[in-house]
Amino acid sequence: MSNNNFSRRKFITGAAAVGAAGVVGFNPLVSCSAGGGQKSGSLITGQPFKKLDELFIPPLLDKAPDGQPLKAGVVGCGGRGTGAALNWLGAGPNVTITALGDVFQDRIDGCKAKIKADYNVEVAEENCFVGFDAFQKVIDSGVDVVLLCTPPVFRAAHFEAAVKASKHVFMEKPVAVDPAGVRSVLASAKMADSQGLKVVCGTQRHHQRDYVEVYKQVATGAIGDIISANAYWNQNKLWHRNPQADWSEMECMIRDWVNWTWLSGDHIVEQHVHNLDVINWFTGLYPTSAVGFGSRQRRVTGDQFDNFSVDFVYDNGMHMHSMCRQINGCENNVSEYIRGTKGYTNCQNKIYDLAGNEIYSFPYSLDESGSPKKSVDVNPYDQEHIDLVTCIREDKPINEAEATAMSCMVAIMGRVSAYTGKKVTLEEMMNSDLKLGPDTFIMGDVGYMKNAVIPVAGEAANE
Amino acid sequence: MGSFFRNKLLLLILTGFIAGIGLTLLSHKGIEATSTNGFCEVCHVHPHVFNSWKRSTHYDTPSGIKVDCVECHLPPKGEGYLTEKIKLGAKDIYGFLFKDSAEFNWEARRTVEVAQHFTYQESCVKCHENLFPRTLTKEGQEAHLYYTQKEDELLCLNCHIDVGHYDPNRKHDKNVGFGGQASASQERFTQPAQVTSLEGYTETIPGTAVSFKMIALPGGSFRMGSPENEPFRKEDEGPAREVTVSPFFMAETEVTWDEFLAFYAATAAEGRSTDTEGARALNDSVQTRSLEGVDAITGPTPPYGQPDQNWGMGSRPAITMSYYAAETYCQWLSQVTGKNYRLPTEAEWEFAARGGTQTPYFFEGEPRDFMKKGFFGRLFGKENDLISQYIIYEANSMSRTQTPDKVEANPFGLKNMLGNAAEYCADWYAPDAYSLLTDGATNPRGPATGQEHVIRGGTFKSDPTWVRSAARDHTQTEAWLKTDPQMPKSKWWLSDCNHVSFRVVCDFDEKTGKK
Repeated sequence: MSNNNFSRRKFITGAAAVGAAGVVGFNPLVSCSAGGGQKSGSLITGQPFKKLDELFIPPLLDKAPDGQPLKAGVVGCGGRGTGAALNWLGAGPNVTITALGDVFQDRIDGCKAKIKADYNVEVAEENCFVGFDAFQKVIDSGVDVVLLCTPPVFRAAHFEAAVKASKHVFMEKPVAVDPAGVRSVLASAKMADSQGLKVVCGTQRHHQRDYVEVYKQVATGAIGDIISANAYWNQNKLWHRNPQADWSEMECMIRDWVNWTWLSGDHIVEQHVHNLDVINWFTGLYPTSAVGFGSRQRRVTGDQFDNFSVDFVYDNGMHMHSMCRQINGCENNVSEYIRGTKGYTNCQNKIYDLAGNEIYSFPYSLDESGSPKKSVDVNPYDQEHIDLVTCIREDKPINEAEATAMSCMVAIMGRVSAYTGKKVTLEEMMNSDLKLGPDTFIMGDVGYMKNAVIPVAGEAANE
Repeated sequence: MGSFFRNKLLLLILTGFIAGIGLTLLSHKGIEATSTNGFCEVCHVHPHVFNSWKRSTHYDTPSGIKVDCVECHLPPKGEGYLTEKIKLGAKDIYGFLFKDSAEFNWEARRTVEVAQHFTYQESCVKCHENLFPRTLTKEGQEAHLYYTQKEDELLCLNCHIDVGHYDPNRKHDKNVGFGGQASASQERFTQPAQVTSLEGYTETIPGTAVSFKMIALPGGSFRMGSPENEPFRKEDEGPAREVTVSPFFMAETEVTWDEFLAFYAATAAEGRSTDTEGARALNDSVQTRSLEGVDAITGPTPPYGQPDQNWGMGSRPAITMSYYAAETYCQWLSQVTGKNYRLPTEAEWEFAARGGTQTPYFFEGEPRDFMKKGFFGRLFGKENDLISQYIIYEANSMSRTQTPDKVEANPFGLKNMLGNAAEYCADWYAPDAYSLLTDGATNPRGPATGQEHVIRGGTFKSDPTWVRSAARDHTQTEAWLKTDPQMPKSKWWLSDCNHVSFRVVCDFDEKTGKK
């Protein structure tokens, strides 16, 4: 019974009382931790910059070392799952794939044929599982590692099952489409840590040598204190699948998953999370609120938007602007930009001083003609699997699940703000029960598509 | 003067004991010998403590490990073990020698508030290093994740108060059966009270066996707030203003469990077991709620834990309901009785509490007259227990709410205005609310917007300074839901507030006989 702790600030913020969501009390997650669970400090709050040996940097070897055989199972055998399977098989000696799971037989067949053709790896027919419960069968088939590559809505449950079965995990981004999923991944991530499991996520810029080198420089003070950031993923239309007569409604949606919010999280989560994640990684901070807008102008199927623009705000007053678009014939740009008190960077390979003079350029190796290559020597999709195998075999810590889950939460915060037109706080998101998609999945008609509503922000004006 | 020498003698004996124990403790053997369960049992004579331990999950563990007294009730060795042992030991010896254990309020010692002072968080986490074992349930994951985000504010005890000493009433779990035992076979009222003039009446809730007394208050002018020279006055009680309130009716007592459970039984959410089930609009989490235009009133979901704290229900004030639940109760009561029931404004509340007086209390005296006396106070001061006739507060409450028959009414005939449980008011709280008022205001309603609501009237935990008529306080939405593990947190029940109730007022209008 005391007024001592009464915050005057609370009154000034006006009428928008939002339940228990206060303005304070969220600190432990506001500064993000890098992979491996190490906390990185704030670059902006005047704390000293990190020393190089305090940063979490994955091993980044050209090939993983030899060791005990490692058997992996693939959950989700579409384009990315098959790609991940090949990246895994190329990571080093003595790695193989022994189980496949998907909801569609043709996806399993395609993946099976591809890894046979490229790596002569034969997956036994009895270890190929079809259906919504295939993930559990893959996990239980005696594998050491699972590669989780289904559409994102399933990820949190698959990750939890894998961790409870003590499997090392590679999982694609995004790792969740809603706050309930994010929290599940955060909890499973801690469960994985407690067992010493290794978890690598498909936020592959963390395994891209040029990004990593620039990160080292920025985190140790090369551009001074960070004062603003931009994140972009503006590209052409992605892809869509029109419904087919012999597909059930569920099949139509899953085969067309990058166009359905409940499956993908919308493209701000599904794709743009990469760029948001880079900003989180480089700054060591998470934005605490967002105001955004977006719309659907040219998307063909599904219920998603095709453009978002979001202003993310940090507790220290910094802003990050985020833009993403999937529309043909517009200005395209996939990149990040961070400005500090001493200079700025594109995050990928260049650092400039405030006058625009280049003060760092990543040294790409030279091609036959003697000019620098356009990309790093080991492509990051291979590198992330090399790092996973290396960490497993050398028992080095790596667990990217928490950082990736929080980046997804940031993206979800932007999406919810754009859908509703409201300011959304990270605290609200952390306490939200928003959960997309059905609780149980059946491959049939579920009455969703014809009722799907594309969100419209705000209220209609008087005519 | 006899007591003076007795006290000195006690001090001497006590010092001797502590010195003796201190010497013994210096030897390792002594430490070991005084840390066994058997040694604890020598003094800890309240028998249930060992029985409840033996039935707890810390005695009967899945791995067969038995957790001994000192493993929870002292910090880990090297983290203040000896210091705490000496402190607690001295306290125990003093208690054993000079106090009658039958007079202890054991129940109160099992609350988180008290138990945290002799159950050490460091000891919990020393053994429970891994908060995310593979066997953890979904609910456990959510709750432990929440804990990891708020480690500074939370204790393991907040949720796991029953793990060391078994108590079926303290399970941290959904309480789906709550309220199911409400009056089944009693005769039920068919009609609400008919009110034709500004006179007290007894409201009868149709369809239930529940009735309660309403007092007619004449309205009028009074000075709201406290004068600057009132002892123990807080800044937010002023500047005092002359305000006028219109006539209204107010319940004689805080809403009782009988009354609240009638509402709960009539409206409780059908079939839902938590707040979180069922489809929610996407933007639900960022919308403010609206109470307008509600036809069928949706009632509370089942609570988490035991809302009455196992103190009993009946005529005890209903507690732990949220402000939203209290407001919804008033709406429901209005609907079933055909009158306008609502929460009082802060001005109405203070008018009613003062009962025509402008003094710190509606009876004679000021806080210092009733404060706990120090050593010299007891020697030379005069005992004054007038306050106990009227107010349930820290000295006479036994750490819990009490039934209204324990106190006498104020000059208006209202009971427990100043104590027992605090009461929600309709106004938003602002520390400077009164400075925004002008003298002569009629029916002021407080600031137009805000974040927290006013609560008025002290509680069973309050000292005499907080049960003054003018004392003001406010809700603490975030803190009062701190340990609710549900996602989102309940909008009906507060997990961390057991001292707030409310009292209904009824408008004196055309429905109640105003011409």
